[in-house]
Amino acid sequence: MNIQQTPLERRRFLGGVLAAAVLVPLGGSLASCAGGGGGTTSGPSGTVSDANPFGMADNSTIDAVIFKGGYGIDYATFAGDLVQKNHAGTTAKVAASTNIAQELQPRFVGGNPPDLIDDSGANLIGINTILSQLEDLNSVVNAKNLEGKVIKDTLYPGVLAPGTFGDKLASINYVLTVFAVWYSASLFEQNGWKVPKTWDEMLALGEKAKGQGKYLFCWGKEAATYYLELAIASAIKEGGDDVRLALDNLKENCWSHPAMQSVLAGMEKIVKAGYMKPGGSGTAFTAAQAQWIHDESAVLYPSGSWIENEMKDQTLAGFKLTGAPAPTVTSGSKFPYEALHSAAAEAYIVPSQAKNVAGGKEMLRTMLSKDAATNFAKNQLASTIVKGTIPEDGFGSTALVSQTKMLDAAGKNIFTWGFVDVYGMNKDLLVVWNTFLDGKSDVATLTSDMQKITDKVRNDSSVSKVEVK
Amino acid sequence: MSLLGTSVPPAGTAPAGGTRRRSKWSFDRISFIAVFLGVPLAVYLIFVVSPFVQAFYYSMTDWSGFTQKMNFTGLANYGRLFSDDIFMKAMGNNILLALALPAVTIVLSLVLASLVTVGGSSRGQVKGLRNSSFYRVVSFFPYVIPAIIIGIMWGQIYDPSNGLLNGILTAAGLEQFRSFAWLGSENTAMAASMFVIIWGFVGFYMVLFVAAIKGIPAELFEAARIDGAGRFRTATSITIPLIRDNIQTAYIYMGILALDAFVYMVALNPGGGPNNSTLVMSQQLFSTAFNKGQFGLACAMGVVLAIITLAFSALVFLVNKLTGGSKDTQ
Repeated sequence: MNIQQTPLERRRFLGGVLAAAVLVPLGGSLASCAGGGGGTTSGPSGTVSDANPFGMADNSTIDAVIFKGGYGIDYATFAGDLVQKNHAGTTAKVAASTNIAQELQPRFVGGNPPDLIDDSGANLIGINTILSQLEDLNSVVNAKNLEGKVIKDTLYPGVLAPGTFGDKLASINYVLTVFAVWYSASLFEQNGWKVPKTWDEMLALGEKAKGQGKYLFCWGKEAATYYLELAIASAIKEGGDDVRLALDNLKENCWSHPAMQSVLAGMEKIVKAGYMKPGGSGTAFTAAQAQWIHDESAVLYPSGSWIENEMKDQTLAGFKLTGAPAPTVTSGSKFPYEALHSAAAEAYIVPSQAKNVAGGKEMLRTMLSKDAATNFAKNQLASTIVKGTIPEDGFGSTALVSQTKMLDAAGKNIFTWGFVDVYGMNKDLLVVWNTFLDGKSDVATLTSDMQKITDKVRNDSSVSKVEVK
Repeated sequence: MSLLGTSVPPAGTAPAGGTRRRSKWSFDRISFIAVFLGVPLAVYLIFVVSPFVQAFYYSMTDWSGFTQKMNFTGLANYGRLFSDDIFMKAMGNNILLALALPAVTIVLSLVLASLVTVGGSSRGQVKGLRNSSFYRVVSFFPYVIPAIIIGIMWGQIYDPSNGLLNGILTAAGLEQFRSFAWLGSENTAMAASMFVIIWGFVGFYMVLFVAAIKGIPAELFEAARIDGAGRFRTATSITIPLIRDNIQTAYIYMGILALDAFVYMVALNPGGGPNNSTLVMSQQLFSTAFNKGQFGLACAMGVVLAIITLAFSALVFLVNKLTGGSKDTQ
C-alpha cells in the first residue's frame, strides 16, 4: 500500500470537513433567524353557563404547573379534583416544578405553555417579561365562585394590586402575605417589653435587649432586603402615597423623600449603636433566622408571614410567634400605625397561547371558592386571599391569629408596591443593603446607591415600564 | 497518484494495489468515514457548534427569552455590556480568578506531587515521603465531593456566629474573629472563596502531576542526585521542564474553571458578595436571562465569556511557546 500519500489525503479530507463544519451551522442559523411559527390559539370551546362561565370545552384537559415550595402542590391537586368532579370528563393534570423559568421557557417559545401556572419561587418568570402573552384575569374575579358569589367581593382588600398592570389583571396572587415585624410574645411578656411603634422606641428597645445580652435585629446575606421592605413600609406610612408612587414609578430622587430619609436615619442609629447582630452579611438567611427564632439572640425580625412555615422545625417551644406592623417615624404619620403592607404571593397566570385557556380560568375559579380556599388555610396554616377561611383560634397558630388581627385593625389602610420584583432589582439592592446593615456605609451612600440602581432601570429603554397609579 | 507509492510496490501485490487505488469510494471506505467521522461530526455540529452560532445570533437581538418575537439590534447589547459597571466588575473578578487560581493551585499541587514522588529520603532509590500513598489518597478526597456540596460545606464553616473557622480562631484567643463575616467583608470574601476552589482542586492536580512525574525515567533523577542536585534544584531543572505539557494543560483547565466558577460562587455568596466582590460573569448571565428576562443581553455575556476563555487559552499557549516550551515536544 502507498503509505506516503495517506497523510496528505487525510489532511485534505479533514480540511474539507472543517469547511463544511463552518458552513453548515451558518446555513442553519440563517434559517433559524425566522424563528418558530407563531400561532393564534383558539381552543375548542364549550357552552357558556353559570356552571361553566368561561366556556371550557367538554372532555378537555387542563395542564397546570405549580411551583413546589413551602406550600407544596397538594392544595392545587385538591382544586383539580374539584374541577374534575364538577365537570365530568375533564382531566386536570397538576404538575410540580421547583424551577419555573428554566422549565417553562422552552414551552413559551414553542407556543405551547401550560393552561395555568403558579409563577413563584426564586426562579420565577418576571411577569413584566411575558405581560403581553398573558390573559386578562379580570374575567375570573368578575365571575361567580362555586357558591354563587362574585369572586371580587370575597377577597381581602388590596390583594389584586400586585397582579394589576395598568388595566390588566395579569396574575391572581393566591396566598395572602402580611409583612410585619415578628417577635416572641412570651419573651416580650417575660421582660415586660412593649412592641416599639416608632424608630425612637426601637432604639430604646435595642438598649434594653442589649442589657439581656441580646441584639435588636439580625439578618442574613440573601435576606438583607427584608430591611428594605421594612424601610419602604415605614416610609409609606410616614409620608403617604407620594412615597409609594415615586418609588413604584422609579421617579428621580425617589429615595430622597423626607419620609424615606428619616426612616433610614432611624435605622442607621440602630446600626451604629451596635444593635444589629454582627456578621449578617456572611450568614445564610436561614441560619440568621434560626438565631432569632431558636437561639433568641435577636428579638425582632422583619419578614413576610411565610416565616412561620419556613422556620416551623426550628421554632423554640413556647415562642408564641406574633407580628406587629412596621413602625412609623412620628405619631403624626400620614397612615395610622395600624396600616399594613400586605400583598398576595404565589402568582397564578394563564398564558393566552395555552391550549385550554378556559380550563385554566375554571381551575383558578375553583381555587378561589370556599372549599379549596379553606382546605389551603387548614393544611398550610396560611390564608388565601379569600376572606373568612381562618377560624378564631387560627388552627392553633398565634402567628395566624395575629395576622388576622393586624388585617382587621388595618381595615382599608393596606398598601403594597411592586417595583423591586417587577424590574428584578432585588439582587442589586441586596448588595447595598448588606453593606449598610454591616455599618460600612451611611444613609447618604445608601441613598445614592439605591438611586443609581433605580435610575439605571428607568433609563434603560429596553425595559418596558409599568405605570402605577 | 504519487510516484513514491507505485515505485516501491511490495512484491506480488502490484496488480491488486492498482485496482484498489482506482475504486477510491469503496463501501468499506465510505462506511468507515460515515461511522468514524460523519456521526461524531454531526453530533458535534448539532449539539456544540449550532448552539454557539445561535447564541451569537441571539446576542444581537433584544430577545426576551419567552416569545418567538425578536428584533435585530446589531451590536447594541455589546455596547450596553461594556458600559455596565456591574458586568465590568464581574469581568474583573473573573480575570482576577483566572490569574490567581491556576497559579496558586498548580504551584501547590506541584509541590505536593514532588513531595510524594521524589521528595523522600536521599539515600537509596528515588522515592517519595514515607506514607506518600496515604497522603495521595487523602488529598484526592476533596475532588470526589461535588462542587455544590463543597460550597455549602464551606459556607457553614465560614458562618460568622456558629462556623467552625471562627470557633477555632476565637478558641485560640483571637477575639477579633468573633462574628467576623469572612464571606461578608469586602476584603476577605474573594480570598475566602478562592481558598475553597483551590482546596477542592489541589488534590486532583497533584494526582495528575504524580502520574506525569512517574513517567519520567528514574535514572534522570538519580543522575541529577549524583551530580549533587538538591530537591529544589531537581524540581526546577528536571521535573518541571519534563512535565511542562501537563502543566500547560492543567493551567488551561484551571483557567477555564476560574472563568466559570459559577457553582462555587453561587453556593458561597448567591448575591455576588459584599459590593459584588465575588460576582462572576456566569452569575450575571444567569440572572439576566432568567430573572430579568433579557436573553439577548445574556447571550452577549456568554459570547464575551467565550471570547475571554479562548483568549486565555491562546495566551497560555503563547507564553509556553515563547518561553521555549515547544522544544520538549519536538
